[in-house]
Amino acid sequence: MASAGPDVRVTVTVADSALAEIEQLAGRLRRAGMAVDAVLGAIGIITGSVASARLASIRTLPGVAAVEEQTTFQIAPPDADVQ
Amino acid sequence: MSGSPQQPATAQTTGRSVVVFSDDVHLDRVAMTAALRSLAEVATVVATSDADDGALDGDALASADVITFDALGVAVVAREPGELAASLAATGAGAGIVSVEPEHVLHAIVVEQPAARAEFSDDDAFTWGLRATRVDASSATGQGIRIAVLDTGLDFAHPDFAGRAITSRSFVTGLPVDDGHGHGTHCAGTAAGPARPGQGRRYGIASQATLFVGRVLDDSGAGADAGILAGIDWAITNGCRIISLSLGGDVRTVSTAYETVGRRALAAGALIVAAAGNNADRRRGDPGFVGIPANSPSIMAVAAVDSDLRIAEFSAAGNPVAGGAVDLAAPGVAVYSAWPMPRRTNTISGTSQATPHVAGIAALWSQVTGDTANALWATVVGAARRLDLPAADAGAGLVQAPGSASL
Repeated sequence: MASAGPDVRVTVTVADSALAEIEQLAGRLRRAGMAVDAVLGAIGIITGSVASARLASIRTLPGVAAVEEQTTFQIAPPDADVQ
Repeated sequence: MSGSPQQPATAQTTGRSVVVFSDDVHLDRVAMTAALRSLAEVATVVATSDADDGALDGDALASADVITFDALGVAVVAREPGELAASLAATGAGAGIVSVEPEHVLHAIVVEQPAARAEFSDDDAFTWGLRATRVDASSATGQGIRIAVLDTGLDFAHPDFAGRAITSRSFVTGLPVDDGHGHGTHCAGTAAGPARPGQGRRYGIASQATLFVGRVLDDSGAGADAGILAGIDWAITNGCRIISLSLGGDVRTVSTAYETVGRRALAAGALIVAAAGNNADRRRGDPGFVGIPANSPSIMAVAAVDSDLRIAEFSAAGNPVAGGAVDLAAPGVAVYSAWPMPRRTNTISGTSQATPHVAGIAALWSQVTGDTANALWATVVGAARRLDLPAADAGAGLVQAPGSASL
């Protein structure tokens, strides 16, 4: 899958209208090439990773409100004055 | 801007008069002087037009009987206003004179600077933050309220949490929920530490709340959306009414995921409280900006103030994106709370330390009022103490606990 580009970790926001069928949407994401890590039913979020070349196609799946690359947060080390 | 804030009856006057000439003699110095001489014996008349640059020095202003300000059509006369007014009425010679008024002493309007002393300080019984937020005077305990702290975990061996029923889970692959950093123990301590710690002053707010500890940051303090969102989902599923996030990223744009999650959390009865961020450098004039996730409209953004109730050097100001405003301020400089053993306690600063003050106090309010979600948000913001700080920095002000009469 070299042509599909490197994997990126993504957060998929499920549309309000698709909340009831979030598991089916996770299945469609898997078939579209996404490795699903977690299906978070209470907040309507699916996390996982996908080849960068497939980002555009999973954004167009019915029931997907948004696909965002994951942010990594970093707090200060334990000995820092400001945390 | 200058002027007298006093009423005319009590304003100081000089004993001299201010005479205003009509427009037809205004600019005509000879006519103005003649009109004045018809009212009173005056010897020395100086005029601003005599001065090289149109400005008279202080000595001339003090010694002359009459000073005419030619360009204004006004004169100051060294006679009592009553004397001049009587003369004006008696002679009818006031042609060219519109009014005679007493000369007032005006004062610059000076704003008093706040005294440079600490408003609050740690004492034997309480941290300054618990004093400033009036937790010291509150009888609420957060009992029955579930509160989640999503951070670096907790030191379960800490004596101040001994015997406490705590539900916990790690969302960081391969790491237990035990705190290998310290930040999470400190935040949990502020939000929900005990009313009577084993030693030292009290630092914990919702001392009888049901604490949920979700580990979403690793020992270096790093964590990705996947773990944080999984922690939020877990907290909501477990009925937590308040979710405290002492973390943030320096990203201005609102994340669709976090905004949607904040909205869905509120719909499910949970209020998410997040740190505004530490990206300001106010000494260098950089106010910073509220980043994700606190910049989401449906997530409450918390700024940090010090014990003088000044905005902290590092505390991020509102970001112009919708939702990027700071909602509230809380103690976030020199905050004393729990730290993993054997150290036991630590005093650190950050909007991370301000956030669990708001989370704990929200639990107190929820216990007292029964409010959740949007109603709880309105209650907590509405009870804030107004600060002499811009709303962009401190939002509605300093978070305040419900009083002892509330229960």
